[in-house]
Amino acid sequence: MGLSKETLLNLYDTMVKIRTFEERVGEMYYEGKLPAFDIAAGPIPGEMHLYSGQEAVATGVCANLQPDDPVTSTHRAHGHLIAKGEDLKKMMAEIFGKETGLSHGKGGHMHLFDPNLHFGCGGIVGGGIPQAVGAALAIKKRGEDRVAVSFFGDGAANIGAFHESLNLASIWRLPVVFVVEDNLYAISVPKSASTAVRSNAERGAAYGIPAVQVDGQDVLAVYEAAKEAIDRARRGEGPSLIEAVCYRFRGHFEGDPELYLAKGEKDKWKERDPINILGSQLKAQGLLTDAEAEAIQAKMTDLVAEAEAFARESPYPAPEEALEHLFA
Amino acid sequence: MTALVGIIANPASGKDIRRLVAHGSVFSNNEKINIITRVLRGLDALGIRHVLAMPDSFGLAVRAYENAGVSLRMTLLDMAVTNTSQDSTQAARMMVNAGVKCIVTLGGDGTNRAVAKGCGSVPLVPVSTGTNNVFPKMVEGTLAGFAAAVVSLEVEGVRESAIRPVPRLEILREGKLTDIALVDTVVYDERFVASRAIWDTSKICTVILPRVRTGTIGASSIAGNLPEAHLHNEHGAWLEVALGGDAIYSVLAPIAPGLMASVPIQSVRWLSMGEEGTVACSPAILALDGEREVPIVSGEKIRVRLSQEGPNVVDIGAALRAASQAGLFVSIN
Ligand SMILES: Cc1ncc(C[n+]2csc(CCOP(=O)(O)OP(=O)(O)O)c2C)c(N)n1
Repeated sequence: MGLSKETLLNLYDTMVKIRTFEERVGEMYYEGKLPAFDIAAGPIPGEMHLYSGQEAVATGVCANLQPDDPVTSTHRAHGHLIAKGEDLKKMMAEIFGKETGLSHGKGGHMHLFDPNLHFGCGGIVGGGIPQAVGAALAIKKRGEDRVAVSFFGDGAANIGAFHESLNLASIWRLPVVFVVEDNLYAISVPKSASTAVRSNAERGAAYGIPAVQVDGQDVLAVYEAAKEAIDRARRGEGPSLIEAVCYRFRGHFEGDPELYLAKGEKDKWKERDPINILGSQLKAQGLLTDAEAEAIQAKMTDLVAEAEAFARESPYPAPEEALEHLFA
Repeated sequence: MTALVGIIANPASGKDIRRLVAHGSVFSNNEKINIITRVLRGLDALGIRHVLAMPDSFGLAVRAYENAGVSLRMTLLDMAVTNTSQDSTQAARMMVNAGVKCIVTLGGDGTNRAVAKGCGSVPLVPVSTGTNNVFPKMVEGTLAGFAAAVVSLEVEGVRESAIRPVPRLEILREGKLTDIALVDTVVYDERFVASRAIWDTSKICTVILPRVRTGTIGASSIAGNLPEAHLHNEHGAWLEVALGGDAIYSVLAPIAPGLMASVPIQSVRWLSMGEEGTVACSPAILALDGEREVPIVSGEKIRVRLSQEGPNVVDIGAALRAASQAGLFVSIN
């Protein structure tokens, strides 16, 4: 792997950026919604699925991508888009439903699109998987050396589109990497109650696709596997699948009472916080000091505050433009 | 006391990055369940009445027991599942305390290393479901079950003919034993554990083996493929890889399944029992039995010693021979 200090610190920066963004959105989301939870009220209306805890997966994968490599994501997309390099202001404005947002405020948190970063996501579970295969088919037909990546959850891996996508990607040897984020639950349903195999890496084998399981809390483990998978795809060797075993530190959605968790389960996982895992490895190797870590946190807090101010100050789209910028 | 057998099956084995960087097979957990089912049926047929099994988050042993249709009883150990290799070590310790006579393991080299940390002198029947599989054997589960039963029933002659002690490497930090390896210890020029496996031979500085065998996969094959290897079956080995241009020769070695490399050798030292040496290269990572495990920071002194304290392993063919000689498979009509 032999990563430079600069790359290692970039991985750390990105994870802290995602966490800071998510935790701040998590606070602002409740403005105006309480005491009786009113999902339509406040500056951020609608549902909210945050990515805290899973930062290592988006970060470790996207660090191996170029801006023109297409990425499809899910209802839990903030982390993937930040790791792909999105401007936090445009993202935050979109989440606030503002005119200055990525889609002029008409997509919101679950529909973040950026054609410049070749990024899309959506709320249909498993919906992004065939889209990535389609992008990979286009790449192959045009003879480009780009790679498509699809992020999705362990729940999505039980949807028919997952299986159809793997099958086609394998038959056509497409440059696509499937990244299953196994955070152990689909909403409240544990994987053991929904999935006939223990590991979705086993399902890769069923379609002749090399598949690995990695520790999704360790960004370097994810980075290393993603690098190999993405390099393979660029060399024309076809698809691969990475199952990253990880954990979300917040509810499935904001407001989730999390009655399905075992006692102490989340605390146990928090001992394996991906930011701390990399942080302590870098500190042990003399590549990061406590003061530098604090400075990185302060920088990200400022960036998120600027994005917040931008979003709050931006106007809503004009009512007469309600039907513009839409595709249906 | 009834003959008790333990079963430790690692649900994570056979899935690491060597599926991507080499050509390792994915070992599915449903296949592991099939194997355990056959082990249980083999044990049952030879009269084992009680089995202890390690719990895991997929319920490998429980599902196998449901399939097996056997009359023996299976008890899950009462332990917390951490989904790490500690589970295997902990399970082995608890099985020893419960008085098992033999432990069947399903996994690769890493799984058996974890079990060896806890199994004391209780003999192992290691069934391979891993990647390099130097330590465990490719064996049909039914026969592994038979062999474990034969050992547990203490069939006449089996102890002498079928149970072999194996050596191990001991990792010493400040003179204190901190870890072990059963197959090989590699000093790897990396700073992070990351995806654990090792496959890039340009990063291998040193290879240390507890015993030299031809026909293995992984770093151990570098020594096993040397022309003089067959003279040193009773020895360990300490190889320094030539990182500059000072190689005496190069060895073709299968470093992972389907992945070959020509490794330039600077020096070879054959080790006798009790011999030890100091790891020269730091910072680096120590890889134990194929997995990056222990970061060594600059200036740290790590010693590696060859010791006899490895686990006891059942020679399955010899156990079955002893059983057939003792008439275990025959009933008088
Ligand atoms: C096709 C479809 N079915 C059901 C839902 C409702 N739903 C939203 S999120 C979710 C769970 C998804 O779980 P997983 O794929 O594991 O992702 P995670 O939320 O854990 O990140 C479900 C069932 C949906 N949005 N789309």
